[in-house]
Amino acid sequence: MSFCSKLFSFLQPAFRSMAVAALLTALALSAAAQKKFSRTYPAPNNVRLQLMNKSGTVTVEGWNRAEIQIVATLEAPAANVSPQNLSGTIVINLVKDNQDRGDIGNVNFLVRVPYTTMVDIETRMGNLNVSNVRGGLVRARISTEGDITLTNIGASAVSAENVTGDIFYDGEIVAGGTYRFSSTRGAINLRIPFNSSFRVVATAPTTRNISLGAFGGGGINFIGDGRRVVGKFGDGSATLSVTNQQGSISFFRR
Amino acid sequence: MNCEECRSTISPFLDNELDPALADGVREHLAICLECSAVCEDLAAIFDVCRADGEDLLTPPNSPALWRRISNVIESEVKPSPPQVEPEQSSRRFWRFSLPQLAAGFALIAVVSSLLTIIGIRAYSRPEAAASSLRSSAEETTMEKVLGKLGLISTPQQAREKHFAEQQKAIDYWNARVAMRRAEWNEKTREAFDRNMRVIDESVAQYTNILKQDPEDDLSAEMLDSVLTDKMNLLRDFSDL
Repeated sequence: MSFCSKLFSFLQPAFRSMAVAALLTALALSAAAQKKFSRTYPAPNNVRLQLMNKSGTVTVEGWNRAEIQIVATLEAPAANVSPQNLSGTIVINLVKDNQDRGDIGNVNFLVRVPYTTMVDIETRMGNLNVSNVRGGLVRARISTEGDITLTNIGASAVSAENVTGDIFYDGEIVAGGTYRFSSTRGAINLRIPFNSSFRVVATAPTTRNISLGAFGGGGINFIGDGRRVVGKFGDGSATLSVTNQQGSISFFRR
Repeated sequence: MNCEECRSTISPFLDNELDPALADGVREHLAICLECSAVCEDLAAIFDVCRADGEDLLTPPNSPALWRRISNVIESEVKPSPPQVEPEQSSRRFWRFSLPQLAAGFALIAVVSSLLTIIGIRAYSRPEAAASSLRSSAEETTMEKVLGKLGLISTPQQAREKHFAEQQKAIDYWNARVAMRRAEWNEKTREAFDRNMRVIDESVAQYTNILKQDPEDDLSAEMLDSVLTDKMNLLRDFSDL
């Protein structure tokens, strides 16, 4: 056995101990750097959630309880979170609550709401996820970049908007409803029931990549050299407007 | 008796036309009221003058002759003066129209006012189109094209240019606001803002170039309007961070 091998075998337990200590220290520091915020409000019928985040992920899930539960994980430097219950509307506005604080860490929200809640969420950057709600409204807007994922939605007014990032919608197209999806750069994917009826205007001027899938029937026309698709599916009672400046648009059968 | 009652009876009192009891009341009041007694003295003095010189003042000398003179003056003012025949001036001839000319004039006024009403109603009933200022050339009616060529209304291209200029002004305003706030942001925010602004600016440049080559590409005009709105929203969102 060479001198190096002997030295290594001598120091190996010490290396192991140091590695474990470093890992534990990192975990402890991470836990110390994060704060938790949790609050629950009783929710009347048709309650509205209005949340404006600055940076971080927002997840809103429908559940079978007449209350709204807000859980927020705050990264350092921790932001102020001051929800307000204003006559049937739960308002969380991190931009306003931290107006004079230039540097705040990400705030990741998990909000559980009754199924019939109207959801209006916005962030300057970060992902937005909404699932299992069928209130009158679902609005998700990202000022800059982040993905928007709306799954199992039954609202009659849906709006999703970002600059960079993907938009995915998996839900109903309610008769007479209004649906608007808009992105500058990303992919917009819509998964809707085949028995939906809607009038659609889908525009992808740069890529001209508009895939209607099972919905590409006879009532659909490509106009503007294929940059836009205009058409009617079923009796056309809902309105669907999809615009993607530099990305693709795809329809899928649910 | 008070002052008011006294003053209303001073005149018959001075003429001795009051019954004795009322006249006694007036006397008693005049004895104790300086103001009413002064009024009574003034009135008595006037009556005295009238009694002394009234006949001379009221009866003018040779009154029938005076009335005749007055009557002559009135009659001379009432009689109309004979019409003066003036040569017809050219300006008055200008405003004198024949019946067909008047009819044609009224018809012209009716047509012009109808057209203006129609244009006004159309503009009012299409607020979203007017607001976006992005009506395509294909949507233009023949009348609008004619009026546009006459310069009475703006063409879709002119309206579009104006709309984009207004958007640009708003963008400049929000840009200035963002420039003031930018130093407060952390590095991550600055990078995200710049990265996404570049993405939007790429689209702005793309549609601007297309419209330079083909000003009648309505779809590109609509998309340019959309990305300029996105740009304005991004600036506005970050102006309060």
